[in-house]
Amino acid sequence: MSERTQGTFQSRLLRGAHRTLTGLHPALESVLAAVVGLLIGALAMWLWGYDPWGAYATMLKGAFGNGWGLSDSAALATPLILTALTFSICLRAGMFNIGAEGQVLIGGLAVITAGYFSLPPGLHHIVALVFAMIAGAIWSIGPALLKLTRGVHEVISTIMFNWLAHFLVLFMIGNVVVNPQSADQSIQIPSTAWFPKLVRGTDLTYALFVSIAFALIIYFILWHTAVGYEVRAAGLNPTAARYGGIKNKRTMLLSFLLGGISAGLAATMIILGSSPNHAMFRGHGQLTNVGFDGMAVAMVGRNHPIGILISAMFFGGLTAGGRLMQLGTSRVPVEMVRLVMGVIVLTMSIPELVRVFPSIKKQTTELVKSLKKLVGSERRRGSA
Amino acid sequence: MSKSSTLPRDNGYFLRAEDITKIYSDGTVAVRDVTVEIHSHEVVGLLGENGAGKTTLTKILSGLLPPTRGQVTSPRGTVRFSSPREALDFGIGMVHQHFALVGTFTAAENVALSHERPFKRIQLARAREKLEALMEGSGLHVPLDVPVEKLAVGEQQRVEILKVLSRNVDLLILDEPTSVLTPLEVNDLFELLRQLRDTDKSIILITHKLKEVQSITDRIVVLRHGELVGDVKTSEATTERLARLMVGQALEEEADAVELSDEEIPSHKERREVDRSGEGVLHVADLTAKGNTGEIAVEGVSFDVYGGEIFGIAGVEGNGQTELVESLTGLRVPIKGTATINGTNILGKDPREIYRLGVAHIPEDRWELGLVLPFTLAENAILGVHRWEEFRGPLSFLRWGKINQHVRKLMERFEIQATGPSAPAKSLSGGNQQKLIVGRELAKDPAIIVAAQPTRGLDIGAAHYIRQTLLEMRDNGRATLLVSADLDEVLALSDRMAIMYEGKFMTVCSPADLDRETVGMLMGGVTAKEAT
Repeated sequence: MSERTQGTFQSRLLRGAHRTLTGLHPALESVLAAVVGLLIGALAMWLWGYDPWGAYATMLKGAFGNGWGLSDSAALATPLILTALTFSICLRAGMFNIGAEGQVLIGGLAVITAGYFSLPPGLHHIVALVFAMIAGAIWSIGPALLKLTRGVHEVISTIMFNWLAHFLVLFMIGNVVVNPQSADQSIQIPSTAWFPKLVRGTDLTYALFVSIAFALIIYFILWHTAVGYEVRAAGLNPTAARYGGIKNKRTMLLSFLLGGISAGLAATMIILGSSPNHAMFRGHGQLTNVGFDGMAVAMVGRNHPIGILISAMFFGGLTAGGRLMQLGTSRVPVEMVRLVMGVIVLTMSIPELVRVFPSIKKQTTELVKSLKKLVGSERRRGSA
Repeated sequence: MSKSSTLPRDNGYFLRAEDITKIYSDGTVAVRDVTVEIHSHEVVGLLGENGAGKTTLTKILSGLLPPTRGQVTSPRGTVRFSSPREALDFGIGMVHQHFALVGTFTAAENVALSHERPFKRIQLARAREKLEALMEGSGLHVPLDVPVEKLAVGEQQRVEILKVLSRNVDLLILDEPTSVLTPLEVNDLFELLRQLRDTDKSIILITHKLKEVQSITDRIVVLRHGELVGDVKTSEATTERLARLMVGQALEEEADAVELSDEEIPSHKERREVDRSGEGVLHVADLTAKGNTGEIAVEGVSFDVYGGEIFGIAGVEGNGQTELVESLTGLRVPIKGTATINGTNILGKDPREIYRLGVAHIPEDRWELGLVLPFTLAENAILGVHRWEEFRGPLSFLRWGKINQHVRKLMERFEIQATGPSAPAKSLSGGNQQKLIVGRELAKDPAIIVAAQPTRGLDIGAAHYIRQTLLEMRDNGRATLLVSADLDEVLALSDRMAIMYEGKFMTVCSPADLDRETVGMLMGGVTAKEAT
């Protein structure tokens, strides 16, 4: 009898936890994930003999503590906002586009090409931006068309296009747009196309405003236009969308194109903005992982442009502050920051886990039951 | 896997269900006080309309669903299992309408799979040997080395039956087994069932087809609204009697059961004549369409729906009604025929173009088709009309102010209970969700309303409200095509009606010209001529 009451109490507790976690407001879920990620990071630091609180204090001060730190965080957030948008737009349309990485590279190549023109400032910016947007969009057409005409899953095709972009850009930097003075990098963009600094002595440029403006534009498209309405409807329920006269293929193509444009812009933000060299490197340097980190930013930002602005700032801060953690008193290796980011992304997916909880629970109880039986029979045998 | 399959048969029955009542948690009484026995060496037909309780009863009989009251016993003890596998071990196997086969596996692998226990080695060669012996013994032949997805539907079904037989079952339950088969395959199946019966197996055949049930069974059990209304020897049953048992005795009696009294529903006899000269608002001729699996689902259907009338289509579900509605609303491209709305062709056009011609579509599946559940009330209220001028400003910006105003009007006019335009659609009750769809569609000011199962699953109040609304639209001169599996609804609301069976119209007439018995026969695929 007592075992039975205990059982119901346990299941009630589990149900309660389940309800609490699934009922959490999306924003709270993100905050919770960030907190859990930081705590597990602290645990890891403590296990390896570092001082976690000192390290976090250094990080916080370095990221948001003063104007310089804040500027660096914002500078790092600038391209992440855009690659996060790439992922989110497609997710809203019901697709898992992980091609931002490749689209960023192709966008970067287009920006470098724009460097061959000599144009007055302003016009040169516009030309570079338009080049990058077009290039990013073109690179996203491939996976989109493969999906629409042949049903190729976008995860497969975007990964392949990422590698195509990687080697294409490698070849172009080494052979076509190569810098005559230094064979491992491309030509330098003339200063007429550089984004002016917003805070002197930091990497923060006016590029930040382009990013924020683009996020707001995406927000208005998705939530305030008929086209965006169609994208979201098709993403949530394609059958109902078709019933509502929405052409799902068109919304898919459109979301891929918008994503490509966004990724192309991200490359512009780095090459014309934060990079001191205003060039591309053979190992891709500052462009590496911008696309993939964008996915983490998108998840924590709950795939909403406004949420993305906040979470990009958070991730930018982690990176900027993390660099300082290895200095000073704490001397925590910078890899610890990547660990925290990884745990946050994992934690973000836990609400999904909780949704499949009933089946996990059932399997666990069955396992426990059979174990008990086993133990019981062993004990009987032992006593006899 | 050997087990004793010899049961003590001297008690004269294999299964006995006593005073079974099943009430689902939402209060639906699916089965009421049913007592039935299944003997060995017998094919029992289980006959009834949609929602008569056939599936629930078979689930209880096979021990997979606990009854609310009563119990199922066999000479070997109480029948109560927690999984189909346990039921199979006991000797009860079921072949579902939708097969449970792994498409890329061969027949041999699929059968072997059903014998597997986790973490045991798969003995494919031995399984295959046993299967070949079984095929020899039963005369049930299938290609063993071809992935089952490449097999014809009839062959796939045979794999399913082999799967169950290989477990040495004593009771075989088949759920609408003939609905996917060609006539020739049906003959083969029945021949096999006879053979199985002669080896002392029991067989339960769930069906709504009168001819079939008469040709194969030994005994027929008829359910209606969850109650056992007949348990007759097939040799003593006539088609007329079965039809009457299946659909009920008289209109008046049934009308009460669905809360449609005369004062609530204006009788169609009293209304002014509808002008039926020339082509209707909706004109359909010789329409033929394929179903999802490539079979012909709608075959040469022709009809007109005129302004000011409700044209009802009755029939057991799965006889082509869904495909017909989809063909007329742009969701399916038919292979042959014509369909026009006020003279304009609609076949092959997409839903948006068809809506522009004045079509409102109340879809049969409100969760899959009718609503985007995570969307708000307002977002759902513009699905399909979101590009209309009144909701769209320059640069295709949505005018949320206007839309919210529109939603509030809809909420008021169609009595939708919700906290406001920004409430998520999934927070609404089923009745309110359906009212939202009906409201959205009727607000289009349509020339023709296509309503598929408009009151399914709704409580009496909401169902009544929606029926009233459809009648109002009719009185306003709109044309309505009503497709419903609820026979009483079609009989009560329609001015003219058709009965659909296997993709064809069995008849087109006024509900007043049909008696209950004829309706039952037509729904079971027996034409008036054949019956006499």
